[in-house]
Amino acid sequence: MSWVTVIWSMSASACLTLAVVHGSIWFKNRAAHANLLFAMMAVLVAVFGMFEFLLMRSTTIAEYSWLHRWGHVPAELLIISMLVFVRLYFGTGRAWLFWLVVGWRLLALALNFLSPTSLNFTEITALRQFAFLGETVSVPVGIPTPWARIGESGILLTLIFFADATVSLYRRRNTRERHRALFVGGSLLACIGGAMVIAILNHTGLFPVPYCASLFFLLIVLAMAYELGQDMLNAAEIARELGETEQRMTLATEAANLGIWIRDVVRNEVWASDKWREMFGFTKSEPIDLNGFFQRLHPDDRETIRQTLANALERDGHYEAEYRVMIPGQPLRWITSRGRVEFNGNGKPACVRSVSMDITQHKQADLEIQLQREALAHLSRVTMLGELSGSLAHELNQPLAIILTNAQALQRLLRQSPPDIAGANEILQDIVGEDRRASEVIRRLRALLKHEESTRQPLSMNEIIEEVLRIVRTDLSGRGVTVQRVLPDRVLKVLGDRIQLQQVLLNLIFNACDAMSSNPLADRRMSIVMTHHNESVRVSVSDTGCGLPLEAEQVFKPFYSTKAHGLGLGLPICRSIILAHQGRLWAEANGAGGPGSTFHIELPAVTEETP
Amino acid sequence: MNTESGTVYLLDDEVGMIKALTRLLTIEGFTVRGFTSAKAFLDMYAPSEASCLVLDVAMPELNGLDLQQRLTRSGVLLPIIFLTGHGDIPMSVQAIRAGAVDFLTKPVNDADLLRAVRTALEQAVKQRDLISKTALLHERHARLTPREREVMERVVAGQLNKQIASDLGTGEHTIKVHRARVMEKMGVESLADLVRAAERLGKK
Repeated sequence: MSWVTVIWSMSASACLTLAVVHGSIWFKNRAAHANLLFAMMAVLVAVFGMFEFLLMRSTTIAEYSWLHRWGHVPAELLIISMLVFVRLYFGTGRAWLFWLVVGWRLLALALNFLSPTSLNFTEITALRQFAFLGETVSVPVGIPTPWARIGESGILLTLIFFADATVSLYRRRNTRERHRALFVGGSLLACIGGAMVIAILNHTGLFPVPYCASLFFLLIVLAMAYELGQDMLNAAEIARELGETEQRMTLATEAANLGIWIRDVVRNEVWASDKWREMFGFTKSEPIDLNGFFQRLHPDDRETIRQTLANALERDGHYEAEYRVMIPGQPLRWITSRGRVEFNGNGKPACVRSVSMDITQHKQADLEIQLQREALAHLSRVTMLGELSGSLAHELNQPLAIILTNAQALQRLLRQSPPDIAGANEILQDIVGEDRRASEVIRRLRALLKHEESTRQPLSMNEIIEEVLRIVRTDLSGRGVTVQRVLPDRVLKVLGDRIQLQQVLLNLIFNACDAMSSNPLADRRMSIVMTHHNESVRVSVSDTGCGLPLEAEQVFKPFYSTKAHGLGLGLPICRSIILAHQGRLWAEANGAGGPGSTFHIELPAVTEETP
Repeated sequence: MNTESGTVYLLDDEVGMIKALTRLLTIEGFTVRGFTSAKAFLDMYAPSEASCLVLDVAMPELNGLDLQQRLTRSGVLLPIIFLTGHGDIPMSVQAIRAGAVDFLTKPVNDADLLRAVRTALEQAVKQRDLISKTALLHERHARLTPREREVMERVVAGQLNKQIASDLGTGEHTIKVHRARVMEKMGVESLADLVRAAERLGKK
């Protein structure tokens, strides 16, 4: 076997092997256009190499002419493929130049078939044979066509296009792209240039060389294969790093007990991490959908969560929610979730990613703290009732006294003859009214004494203040304290527990009275002022009493008391109640406004539209 | 319906209480006038007839005991019955000492209240009687001649006619005539009555 056979067949097989590799890459990933183009180029190089081989070994003019004409087909297609490859893979190269070159090459191909023999020769007159790498090879001798220059200038244009694309890529200053420009662009320029020189030498007959352009093309193909290989290596590296990142994230999310869920809104598909599946009671293979998710929620939470998700998708783009999960055979659990919506180009939601965490234990701890706080608040209320007893006795005694007198008047009225029925009716109406009043007092008393779970509902702060003042009315007049109230005309609402807020106010009022107990009667003035302050409601209770210690905060410390029998728990409990209402409670000396102190309560205001 | 003489004034800050007490007392034949503030009562009160006051101790602006003091100081003789929601002993002692007729706790039993009101009105009538009798005596005393007054002074002081005659430098017979005039003018029948009248006039 001669070297020519060995080299050309090895070149062909190398090309075909590369073609198979990249073709199969494209087959698996249809988006890999570069690989498809490359496979096509490699096949074309192999086919073109075969033509060259046959030309070298051809001995008759007729056979040579035929091969010469048809050899142009793979050659032109190869060049066009390279042009497309550069456009696609480099992303550079001027469009007009590209189309010009492609047009030029197609023109050359058309002329090739219009010519009696081929693009280069009108007629091949003889074959010159000489020894080349241990074999006798043929080169043509013939009459050149007038269009031969068209083919050569086509090659020149191709070179210009490649040079332009390569320089543009090199200018981008990205290391990776410069490398590609130098390597692929450089090899393209060198090899096409070399092939052009050989073709010219051949066709002009200046120096007989057998057709061996496919070897140059092979070099280009190898350079490209190397580059593509680099890309694939990079991709593999990125994939490995991604895998690593994912593992790290899985580790982190598992350590933090986080469950992850990603929902493709368009396709309505859900992916969830194992932890998430475990949290919501899905097996590892069970398909997840929104309905299955909602079924696992506590019935009371379903609608709220549905609404939260809908809002996130339509407007907010994110959400945060706490809810209960009920899985048959498992204790009820609390979950908190945060999610973010990803929108596509049209502003439509594309996917939702969310992280969930089991907060059952937190909730239990919170609940215990809340229970303790409530127990303490209750205890403090009961203690406070001792102070209130005078008021309550009076409040209750008064209607009872009126009822008794009315009832006895009625007895006497009915003993008369004839009995005064109209009068009797009137008396009975009053008795009923007073009875109601007495039971209202008892209801208030009971509400204060009751120890029940605190509830949050929108409350009119105006009403709470009025009701507390009704409860302490007698006490205040008994202590000679006058109250000035400055309440706005419109109703200000807060979210809270009626009894607890009343308790805080009662406590502040009693404190104010105690602070003024050694004042002369005319100087026992208290004021209750309510104002609306940036999204919050502020109630300020002021007195003209003995004032605060230098460090005002001290009064909120447990067991701090200035009263002979004070436990020193009233204000700390008040503060904990207000904090639990997301509010603030603080004290201020009246300063320039006179002696005494002012206690401020600030609670978030509830706007009317919020239920 | 039997009618009782005298007016009962009610003073309580609760309208309901006033209404109930008014009913009870009206049925029992009393004339009743109710007030919810001490000021309104003081403006309206006219001591023209026998009356008494049923007073709530715990009045917002003017405390019941203070009102009592004020009335006494301005010389108004008005029997007061105190009503209280939570009366304590020191308070009741103070009230009684200052001349209160009774000190009742709410809720008050009708019989107790009526008894107290009757007692108070009787006391008022007696006081009025006393006052009107004294006024009559003053009037009569004013009609005596200076000599008759001198004679009366000595008679009630226990001097005998003979002593008076020698003191005033006249005869015993003249003194006897003066003495009979005094008894007649003062409207008394016996020496003992004259002595009592002089006591009331503060001439002894």
